[in-house]
Amino acid sequence: MTKLETANLTRRFMGLVAVNNVSFKLEQGEILGIIGPNGAGKTTFINLVSGIIMPSEGTITFNGRDITYMPAHERARLGIARTYQLIHPLENLNLIENVMIGSIFAKGSSLKEARRKAERLCEEMGLTNLERDTAKLTILEIKKMEIARALANEPEVLFLDEVMAGLNSDETKDLIATVKKIAAERKLAVGVVEHVMGVIRELTNRVIVLESGELIAEGPYEEVSKNPRVIEAYLGGAA
Amino acid sequence: MNRNLSRIIALSAGAIAIALPLFAGDYPLQVARNVMMYMALAITWDMLLRSGQISFGIAGLFGLGAYAGILGMIRGGMPAWLSIPFAAFVAGFAAFLIGFMILRLRAMYFSIVTLALGEIFRIIIHNLHDFTGGPEGIVIQQGVIFGGSSSKLYWLTLGGLAVAIAASYWFEHSKIHFALTAIRNNETSAKSSGIDIFKWLLVAFVVTSAIQGLLGGIFVQSYGFATPETVFSADFTLLPLAMALLGGVYSTVGPIFGAILLGLVAEWLKLKIPYGHLVVYGIIIILVILFMPNGLLGRIRQTTGKRAGRTA
Ligand SMILES: Nc1ncnc2c1ncn2[C@@H]1O[C@H](COP(=O)(O)OP(=O)(O)O)[C@@H](O)[C@H]1O
Ligand SMILES: [Mg+2]
Repeated sequence: MTKLETANLTRRFMGLVAVNNVSFKLEQGEILGIIGPNGAGKTTFINLVSGIIMPSEGTITFNGRDITYMPAHERARLGIARTYQLIHPLENLNLIENVMIGSIFAKGSSLKEARRKAERLCEEMGLTNLERDTAKLTILEIKKMEIARALANEPEVLFLDEVMAGLNSDETKDLIATVKKIAAERKLAVGVVEHVMGVIRELTNRVIVLESGELIAEGPYEEVSKNPRVIEAYLGGAA
Repeated sequence: MNRNLSRIIALSAGAIAIALPLFAGDYPLQVARNVMMYMALAITWDMLLRSGQISFGIAGLFGLGAYAGILGMIRGGMPAWLSIPFAAFVAGFAAFLIGFMILRLRAMYFSIVTLALGEIFRIIIHNLHDFTGGPEGIVIQQGVIFGGSSSKLYWLTLGGLAVAIAASYWFEHSKIHFALTAIRNNETSAKSSGIDIFKWLLVAFVVTSAIQGLLGGIFVQSYGFATPETVFSADFTLLPLAMALLGGVYSTVGPIFGAILLGLVAEWLKLKIPYGHLVVYGIIIILVILFMPNGLLGRIRQTTGKRAGRTA
């Protein structure tokens, strides 16, 4: 079942076309890789579908409903969650409070209920010692906390923007397994932006490739990685 | 600090505050009333600051409430007791309307506009001579609340302070705490957690403004008159700000702590340098921001190894 769909999605920044005429579909239960060289428009694309910025042209539909100009906080309630390339721990809240935010506002849970749900999510993500200050967390823990916060929205669609960045190979393995597990249990539709191709191969069922804002290829990773246009985009972009 | 210990301290402080008129004379009561008034304003300023918005509009809303109260009585024939909630309503309603225009502004732009608001209210009141009494001000000829009894006026002000403390406690222990903290930390990620930023800023702005108006309404009852210069005085913005910063921001205790310290100093300064005391608050604000961004409370927490409210 198609959860999220864009048609001819375009976003210009002054003269620059950061996302150019992108049409794609994200299906329930799939993990889609979004790849492309630096500056290809991957983060901008996630910003568009999560409502952080508005498109110049094109449409976005979620479960068949037009959400093109819906504000971000409403999309969060509707079922679209995401994490950010730059980590955003809420410094004045501790670990569990950071995770509670999602249930409180996206789901309207009471504080008590939100805490209970957050405890369960943290356990699922392998986070312990939940009253800790965010300053005391490791990078892996912060990444997990941010995923848990997104999951507290109880989303149907989840975007992860470079969550593996800054992790060593053991931590990466740990997080790949965790993401696979939480996605499968919830039948989530997941979009992951990732630099490391090994992660994409491990994690995704399908990838789309962006170059200079355009969608230039689509398909299983094995196939796409042999596509001459993709190879050229990567070599040309020196990524 | 131990929870029970804090509770005992809070309860004893409350009991002493309530009982003060039974053993203190008029002058100390008046000083205490002033300190409580500023304390309450400091708390409301901090409440909005928890969302990251720095308001310089305290005096504006305080003055608006003061005039709403006194005009409600004199022009509207309200009984004195009713003029006080009316003052809160007018300030809150004004904040609601203004909020739609200014709560999209951030940082310096928001601060400057709130500063201008006070000036706009002051100039309007200054010029509506026939209705407001203009620059000479307006006096309550008869019907001042409690016949001006100093102990009852003290309790009235204490009531205003109690409202501010209760609201601040509510801000600290409900969803709004999470909303404002998330907004202060990062608005983009707050949105992604489903937070309607504008709505929560509006709630915080209206509630804090209404309390500032309420305090203005109490203030005019205590003094029996209002002039643009007295009720829109920069004191009502600068002193609460300095108190909250000195005590430590993002909490209820910080501003209380700062108000007790600075309020007593301010009383003394006013006697010593009647025209220069504002300069001293200015200097305190600058020194605190430079050298003690978490306030005295933050210092204490740091040295006792506890988590301090961070500023960034
Ligand atoms: N807010 C913005 N204003 C102007 N240009 C932007 C903005 N956001 C992104 N861009 C530009 O859009 C292009 C795509 O950026 P981005 O989506 O971050 O790429 P990626 O995530 O694929 O590395 C880049 O050239 C970037 O500089
Ligand atoms: Mg990016």
